[in-house]
Amino acid sequence: MLNQVRLLETEVIRLKDCDLNFVNEVIEAGGKNAQLCFSCGTCSGGCPAVYTMDYTPRQIMRMVELGIKDKIFKSNTIWVCAGCHSCTTRCPRGVEISKVMAALKSIALRNGYPPREPGGPAWYNSFMEVIRNYGRVFEPELMLKYNLKKTKNPIELAKALLKDAPMGLEMFRKGKLILLPDKIKHREHLKIIQENIRKMRAEA
Amino acid sequence: MKLAYYPGCVLPTSGKEFDMSTREVFKALDIELVEIDDWNCCGATVAYNVDDLLALALPARNLAIAEKEGLEMVSPCPTCSYWLTRSKEAASDPSVLEKINKALEGTGLSYSGEIGGEHILEAIINRVGVEKVKEKVVNPLTGLKVIPYYGCYIVRPPRKKRFDSPENPTSMDSLLEAAGVTLVPWNMKTKCCGGSLMLSKEEVMLKLTHDILSRAKSLGADCIATLCQQCNLALDGKQRDIEKVYNEKIDIPVVYFTQLLGLALGISPKKLGLDKNIVGTEKLLQSIGIATI
Repeated sequence: MLNQVRLLETEVIRLKDCDLNFVNEVIEAGGKNAQLCFSCGTCSGGCPAVYTMDYTPRQIMRMVELGIKDKIFKSNTIWVCAGCHSCTTRCPRGVEISKVMAALKSIALRNGYPPREPGGPAWYNSFMEVIRNYGRVFEPELMLKYNLKKTKNPIELAKALLKDAPMGLEMFRKGKLILLPDKIKHREHLKIIQENIRKMRAEA
Repeated sequence: MKLAYYPGCVLPTSGKEFDMSTREVFKALDIELVEIDDWNCCGATVAYNVDDLLALALPARNLAIAEKEGLEMVSPCPTCSYWLTRSKEAASDPSVLEKINKALEGTGLSYSGEIGGEHILEAIINRVGVEKVKEKVVNPLTGLKVIPYYGCYIVRPPRKKRFDSPENPTSMDSLLEAAGVTLVPWNMKTKCCGGSLMLSKEEVMLKLTHDILSRAKSLGADCIATLCQQCNLALDGKQRDIEKVYNEKIDIPVVYFTQLLGLALGISPKKLGLDKNIVGTEKLLQSIGIATI
């Protein structure tokens, strides 16, 4: 982590290499007030996951403002964000930092940027697939889909599935695991909603 | 009193004892919960990372169903109740409401923006009141040392209409005190457990949850009281994994506030699902003079 932070602080950032319109793209994708950040670092100070981030939330906010996209999307920060919203709660400028992180994730997912954390997109995509199919979460299939998306290596896959087996068995024993999905009647509604939104995005 | 009930996806499964104890407590408090028909996933901690309009439209489908019944909606899940509230707050902007309804086009449902959602804690505090709850306590949990843990979504992101302090919430404290417990003061009430990273970045979740469990244990609490099934899955469900990873004996029961409140209201441990928590609750129950099944 320290190496990367130093890199950013000692680097010459040329404005001609920046995409100064990027911040608007982030705001459009839900990152409310992203342009209002004045780099105080309150977000980084209270972030529970900052210890393992390539760049702190404050640095990401600055990179959003400057449109340094490649560094943002090559870092692990957006995928390590736990979405606890402490930053948003405490920001003195009303920046919804956690929603800026979410907006960045949505941009990365939409464009299929290769992630530094393969678990991130695997998780979001498998969750959306499961609820699109059933209307609700079905935990066993979600686990399976997630692991299949995360790794193509059969040994790693088997290890990942076995790791959670004891907890799964305990849940089953206590009547807390269902083996068949709880499907809603109007499953087509989920597909309709997503298709409507896709069209609205395409029109915009 | 009658309210629409939105359990959320996990409550019938890994959060079963939360669902059971919620229904029992509401019955004891004379509130009828009517589970809404054909409800769908609210998008949880995921949808807003995929598309911000989707994160409003998914809860709005449920709110549109509840509107047909004319009932305000409650949910035990803090994330669900946040997104139900958020959809209503966002819909106060007519242009957002229009977008939400455009997303619902073709489902035969539309949302007027009238009805929102709230968490069961909020409903108990605001619709029943701590004093009324206290009057109904028949079995005060005297001597039980409880650590109140709120997590994130119950108070964060902050709502326009604030229900409790985002930094130092006290609403669950007041109900637990009404139930007769002794609260253990601490500074991690709203520290994130990392639950949303349980699959995608497990080591971060293990660390954050370990920090919480370890502190709770060191303060000599008999149990941790929670109000979120995702927090419970981390603190209770993953506790054994954490003990192994950190080579540390923790063994602290993690129970829902509704389970403790239910006991104080005289409901049986079985009906409150106290045999379903992963870390056993037998000793805890014995310590307050309640025999297990």
